[in-house]
Amino acid sequence: MEIIVTSPWTPLEWIEAHGLEPRGVWGLPACDRHALAEGVCAFAQRLRALAGTPSSQPMIFTTACDQMRRAADAAAEETATKVFLFNLPATWKTPAARRLYHQEVKRLGRFLERLGGRAPDAAGLWSVMRDHDRRRQAERARASLEKAGRTASRGAPLALVGGPALPGQPNLCELIEAAGGTVALNAAEPGERGLLPPLPGPQTGRADPGDPFAILCDHYFDHIIDVFQRPNSRLYEWLGPRLTERRVRGLVLWVQVGCDLWRAEAMSLREAFGLPVLVLESTETGGGFAARDLNRLSAFIESLR
Amino acid sequence: MTSPPRQLTLEEWDRRHADLLTQGLREPPYGGRLSRHVETEGDLRLRHLRFDNSAAALRLWNFLLTENQRLRAARQKGERLVGAMKDLGTVPVMAYALPGLRAFYPDGAWWTPCLMECSDRLLQLAGTLGADDSFCPVRAMLGAFHTQEHFPEPDLLICSAGAVCDDFSAIAARLERMGRDILWWEMPRRRQPEEDEPACLLPGGLSAPQAQVDCAREELERIAGALGGLAGCHLDAPRLQAGIQAANAVRGALQALRQTVFTAPGGPLPALEMQIAEMLAIHFCSDRQESLGALSDLLAEVRRRVQAGQFAIGPEAVRVYWVNPVADLRAMNVLESCGGRLCGSDFMFTHALDPIPEDLPGFEALARTALADPMTGPALDRGQRLVTECRQNRIEAVVISRIPGASHCAWEGASLRELVASHTGLPVVELEVPPVCDALLPTVRTRLEALMETARARRARSKPGPAA
Ligand code: SF4
Ligand code: SF4
Repeated sequence: MEIIVTSPWTPLEWIEAHGLEPRGVWGLPACDRHALAEGVCAFAQRLRALAGTPSSQPMIFTTACDQMRRAADAAAEETATKVFLFNLPATWKTPAARRLYHQEVKRLGRFLERLGGRAPDAAGLWSVMRDHDRRRQAERARASLEKAGRTASRGAPLALVGGPALPGQPNLCELIEAAGGTVALNAAEPGERGLLPPLPGPQTGRADPGDPFAILCDHYFDHIIDVFQRPNSRLYEWLGPRLTERRVRGLVLWVQVGCDLWRAEAMSLREAFGLPVLVLESTETGGGFAARDLNRLSAFIESLR
Repeated sequence: MTSPPRQLTLEEWDRRHADLLTQGLREPPYGGRLSRHVETEGDLRLRHLRFDNSAAALRLWNFLLTENQRLRAARQKGERLVGAMKDLGTVPVMAYALPGLRAFYPDGAWWTPCLMECSDRLLQLAGTLGADDSFCPVRAMLGAFHTQEHFPEPDLLICSAGAVCDDFSAIAARLERMGRDILWWEMPRRRQPEEDEPACLLPGGLSAPQAQVDCAREELERIAGALGGLAGCHLDAPRLQAGIQAANAVRGALQALRQTVFTAPGGPLPALEMQIAEMLAIHFCSDRQESLGALSDLLAEVRRRVQAGQFAIGPEAVRVYWVNPVADLRAMNVLESCGGRLCGSDFMFTHALDPIPEDLPGFEALARTALADPMTGPALDRGQRLVTECRQNRIEAVVISRIPGASHCAWEGASLRELVASHTGLPVVELEVPPVCDALLPTVRTRLEALMETARARRARSKPGPAA
């Protein structure tokens, strides 16, 4: 059975170790275009719509933002889809927040068992964790190859920062390249930002690598890089060295209309890195860009050349 | 000194104030003519409001409108100021339990653009600081921190995170990026306990998993440590217990006021003063003792009026439940001019009205209270309380006021509306109220009048007809 995951911060390994198949919402086929209710985030609305489709699989929402929480409520109350709302702590410096994360992963396990999943033993969980770790390393290598290829191109190096893009929404990387820019850093969703570093366990080579459940939870909890965290310094600390190293000359901030969290970062990003920021906003759950936005993007890239 | 209830303009109040003084009215130090707030503070909106004519209402208004001065005076006396953000009602209980601390909500800048009819330019300033009009009016807080004119800079800033609205979370993050240190604390997203999961009851009748309460409790203990550090004095159990009792005295007075006003045959106190009175429960308007005094005066006045059968709003008015605070206070006057009467309210902080349990250890009690915040859980929970209170208070119509830009309104309005309609059959209207609603007034009026009309028609239908 497939389980739809809507955030990079719910451990896929845990789902897979239960014998179920995690599937990121980003790769699902585009749904019909919907007019947006005023003030509603296109991504959150899309998740609610997805839950309402007859063939919908169980979905894991998170509490990362109010829009997502409310979309989860609507999905749970108004559709037959099984919904799990994962309480992602916004804070990250305290034992209480860490414990909350661990408890939520445990609770997720109970949800998966109710769906027919089987609680994994330590060896089973380790095996899935190592497999994911290898796959992530391969993805990182691919990303860095692509990055090297892009850096060799002559377009102005840009960072794409922001929230999730939906199937059916424009491929921003392609648009940027077509307009004469190069995406030197993809910090949107999905993208490099959601790619966890290597697991600590397998690298240490210890005979007893420890409790895989605790290591998995800590690994995720310690590497969440996202806009909803308070303080949100991790996001800035993660971006800073990468922007410098990749000689980024400007930021494209991708914001779903109705998303307060990303929108409010525009000025902070500008101030923190001294780089120009172009805010591109989606206005629909699907479909292309307004010609005006394409013009803005071209003009932005031209000004950076 | 008492006279039959009436709603007065600002000029009329000045004349009445002079009369009251000649009759021997004794006012607290912050007392005086209401119109002086227009002259000295630029609270221009007062010119367009109608106020209750009681001395108790005068005290309430003067108390509310002098908070900035009170905070600055406290600072001069060497007291330390705590800016509590977002939790609406929890952190101040701890702060006021410690000597030499005063807590206030910078969030209160929400109302400044209304009070000053936007002459403060806080909303425009917020736009230049990175929060445009896609955010709710709380963005005014950014501007207020920048100008430092509307409240003094706090010595400690505390903000709840997690199950809070996106507008506030985003704006507080922006504030932090602008250089303010913020002490964040985690508020879990309240959920139903699962089968076999240890759970506990919350004030207001909800329940939550004990693990969530434990998380909130641990966080509040951490905040108490910071407050204790600021005060130079540990927030121990007896102090906290005394603080809770004092907060409950304020909540109790407010509950008695609500009960008396909402169940009286007519409206003994107008909606505007009721909304202001409720706000005192959140942080005592920076003076716990005085807020109790102001509420006690109102309660005495209301009881006197009910006993005398004197009402500011006639018994024929439609009994209305109002959901969400209005960005423009004038909307409360408009409700009455359209034939409505406030008989129930959820201004988004119902958890600050319920008594904090006194039979539990202090932090446990506070954590349970914080988790009962209507905005930390699903709209369904909020809706269920709304339905219960509609029944208890014999409500005839419901107004859900939308807050421009608010992240929760887009989702919540529709589900509250459906819930109320399906459980009670009451007519519901959803309307948006911006900080200065003058331009929208005809629309607001038309919609409210239509609602009252529907409610009156329903009332007529439900009355037993003449015997055949
Ligand atoms: S895009 Fe923004 S509002 Fe939408 S789900 Fe993500 S963080 Fe929330
Ligand atoms: S009005 Fe709503 S969106 Fe604005 S700060 Fe208050 S709870 Fe948040």
